[in-house]
Amino acid sequence: MAIDKLPNSAPPNHSASRSAQQFPSFGHQLLEHFSLAPGYVNLNSGSYGTVPTPVIQACKAITDEVEANPDKFMRLKYGTALTQCRERVARLIGANLDECVLVPNAIHGINTVLRNLSWKKGDVIIKTSVTYDAVDKATRFLADINPHPTLETISISPPYTLDRMLRAFEAGLKKVQSSLEYTTLTEQGERPKILVIVDALSSTPGLLMPWERVVELCKTHENVWSLVDAAHAIGQVVGIDLKKIQPDFFISDCHKWLHSKRGSAVLYVPLRNQRLIKTTLHPSAAYITTEEYVNDPSLPSPPNFVKQFEWIGTHDPVLYLSIGPALDFRKWIGGEVRINAYCKDLAIRGGQRLAEVLGTEDMDNTPDHELTLNMVNVRLPLPATPKRAVRIAIEEFFNRKLLLDWNTFAPAFYHDNNWWVRCCAQVYNEVSDFEHLGRAYKHLVAEAIQNIVDEKGELREGCTA
Amino acid sequence: MTSDKPLETPAPACSASYTGKQPPPFGHQLLKYFSFDPGYVNLNNGSYGATPTPVSEACKVISDEVEANPDKFIRLTYEARWIRCRQRVADLIGAEVEECVLVQNTSHGLDNVLRSIDWKKGDFIIKTNITYGPVVNAIRFIADANPGVILETVDIGPPYALDGIFKSFEEGFKRVQSSPEYAALTEQGQRPRIVVVVDTLSSLPGLLMPWERVVGFCKGHENVWTLVDAAHALGQIVGINLNKTQPDFWISNCHKWMSAKRACAVLYVPRRNQHIIKTTLPTSAFYVSPNDYAKDPTLPKPPNFVKQFEWTGTHDPTPYLSIGPALDFREWLGGEEKINGYCRDLAIRGGQRLAEILGTEEMDQTPNHEVTLNMVNVKLPLPDTPKDAVKVVIDGFFKKKLLLGWNAFAPPFYLHGSWWVRCSAQIWNDISDFEYMGNAYKELSAQVIESIIDEKGELREGYTATISVH
Repeated sequence: MAIDKLPNSAPPNHSASRSAQQFPSFGHQLLEHFSLAPGYVNLNSGSYGTVPTPVIQACKAITDEVEANPDKFMRLKYGTALTQCRERVARLIGANLDECVLVPNAIHGINTVLRNLSWKKGDVIIKTSVTYDAVDKATRFLADINPHPTLETISISPPYTLDRMLRAFEAGLKKVQSSLEYTTLTEQGERPKILVIVDALSSTPGLLMPWERVVELCKTHENVWSLVDAAHAIGQVVGIDLKKIQPDFFISDCHKWLHSKRGSAVLYVPLRNQRLIKTTLHPSAAYITTEEYVNDPSLPSPPNFVKQFEWIGTHDPVLYLSIGPALDFRKWIGGEVRINAYCKDLAIRGGQRLAEVLGTEDMDNTPDHELTLNMVNVRLPLPATPKRAVRIAIEEFFNRKLLLDWNTFAPAFYHDNNWWVRCCAQVYNEVSDFEHLGRAYKHLVAEAIQNIVDEKGELREGCTA
Repeated sequence: MTSDKPLETPAPACSASYTGKQPPPFGHQLLKYFSFDPGYVNLNNGSYGATPTPVSEACKVISDEVEANPDKFIRLTYEARWIRCRQRVADLIGAEVEECVLVQNTSHGLDNVLRSIDWKKGDFIIKTNITYGPVVNAIRFIADANPGVILETVDIGPPYALDGIFKSFEEGFKRVQSSPEYAALTEQGQRPRIVVVVDTLSSLPGLLMPWERVVGFCKGHENVWTLVDAAHALGQIVGINLNKTQPDFWISNCHKWMSAKRACAVLYVPRRNQHIIKTTLPTSAFYVSPNDYAKDPTLPKPPNFVKQFEWTGTHDPTPYLSIGPALDFREWLGGEEKINGYCRDLAIRGGQRLAEILGTEEMDQTPNHEVTLNMVNVKLPLPDTPKDAVKVVIDGFFKKKLLLGWNAFAPPFYLHGSWWVRCSAQIWNDISDFEYMGNAYKELSAQVIESIIDEKGELREGYTATISVH
């Protein structure tokens, strides 16, 4: 059974009057092919993705096959099916098959790299003020344990432009390299490693970053490595060419923008760096110890990269294999260029409309919207609330009210002393969704100012987190 | 993800497919509650488990709810349901809910523990010759990454009996304590750590081990820790009481014998040890750095154990939440004692029948079948084949022929000079399945002897191994 094909040559509910050449229109009409609750205005596919109904159905067929004979599927079928998925993803990002393995999510993949690298005292991890929270915590954990690599945080601050971001990275790198510890160790012949964690697109705020140029910057310096947190990249950034860009590590979620099932992501490690990834995050049956290999050179030589990631213990194989049907679906609705042209245009127009309704502005005020792909960040008219307890109270208030009362969602976040909302423009969204969200947030902001927070950004009396 | 206050919502009702009905008797009549290919003889529940159809149906209801509004489900609904599932598993194993978190599978949970330990030169890890492969690799990786950590292997060999197995552990432990490395450090006033990795039931072979006794023994010694690989325990061992046994760490799969959806396991860490698990694997957004906590004591106190495990990155929540429907289904069938009464009896009778047909014997030769629960290991009529390349060929031959030719499966394995087959007796099996398996392995073993290997256990001329070891 060809599991990376949709069950029929045309997806279900496909109107007989449409020719194979014609693509369906984007917007609310496309909701027919998703399983979102009727009336739910989803402007947050960036967090957990949305799975199209044909993909769910294709996955059910795979699940049925697994349950019909788990041993047959896992032992005889899965390996080939997994390779086919990896091939398709590799092609999408301009990488070689043997450089791409699948992992449950970007956090998993990023931790796989971070925990495998050998750290020495004096090594530095450079991250930014917009590094994803869980990734930031992973670096904090590393800094907390021996040998305590140093953390350096680059501030990404307004005015936001790609050039300024790149210069911030340059300045951050210079700062590290001219630090006393770094220069001393280098003079002693022990140049420390610097790992730069750069987002392809940051999360909250959702901004395109000059990641290719940061990768290039790293390459021009000795012992400076690039780890690209590309969680949001696949299915949003068109024409990724990793063979050309050559980052040291690149990890992207497929379930965010590529429409696969939650729990599927790709970890790219170029051949030259695979020796550094000694083990999957927890070792698998295919882990080869150096001792074993020395004693028996007929074994695969460590680290046996691809094979280690093929099976890391019992898991649901459908999650990875959903990538095939997801790609088929995206092809059917018009392909990556067409999809992302629609989404980017909608993000920009939707952001403008949202800013109008709220009486505020888009975070990206560059003339060409150079920081905007399919995500847009619009300011909320709230006072600054630096205290953590206040921020938590406001976030919880927004989340509950949006989801339970207004039947919509896009996350609010606090950044550079301002509150913002990040919206994701997807193939099933239209400008009216942004208007609805704007009305919701306008109302909720007013309620928050009245009941939760005062003009000084403190919690009002009687209000606790 | 923020710490939103959880929304209490009812979990989906039990599947309509069995509500109000009487459960059928165990055996082939139960096949209608599973989704196997017609005629497929599944004697290998022990590897991947099998999802009962009502549990799959309940999972579909949950999935639909997630897809209807992923943010609502994940941010508001998930936490309360997850806590309830943890509570039900905790009740099943005599533990407290605050000591039980969910991970993807036993290997993952075990490694999370191994990686969390602050290894020092001269520390020991004791495993056995039948410790599960990936767990052995996790242990080897610790030794690779921490030079100075010493591995000691306890050999479990015939006769396979609980006392003998326990004695082997005792001897292995004594060997460690009388080793020059251990002695050198204790003379300096140090007490090296010994971590004992013990199975509740081993995998291949599938044998019950005297794990509670080993845990008890370790407690009598200073700085000796028990890491219990209980992968096969949940849903097979009745009356687990971790509050009483008090291992240091204990991890069990829910999808093997407990009927949950792949992949879900419970990691038990008693309160006294939670400070050791500084981070999940991967690190969660709920990780609290001690440095941050020192500056801001309003943060959750490290290690924020339970909360870290609540969310370690986007995943499919249905396997964890399938615990409820799985336990409901098992309760409807009559409960753990009734289920396992049937399975164990069948394992014993099935093993005897299988041994008759093959003209061999069971691994468990004890008068009361004391090392047999729901898995039975029977010798295959093959000569010794010590070479790895030969083992790989035979293993591959059996697997393909069984799955593609005989429409049946139970895994072969090699131990101490003999080939064996491990059968799992489950609620959908009956004695005829063992007879069928016996006929299959009898014929296939004859084929191996005729075409693949000679009397010396070498590959026959002209027959080359084409499959790699790993």
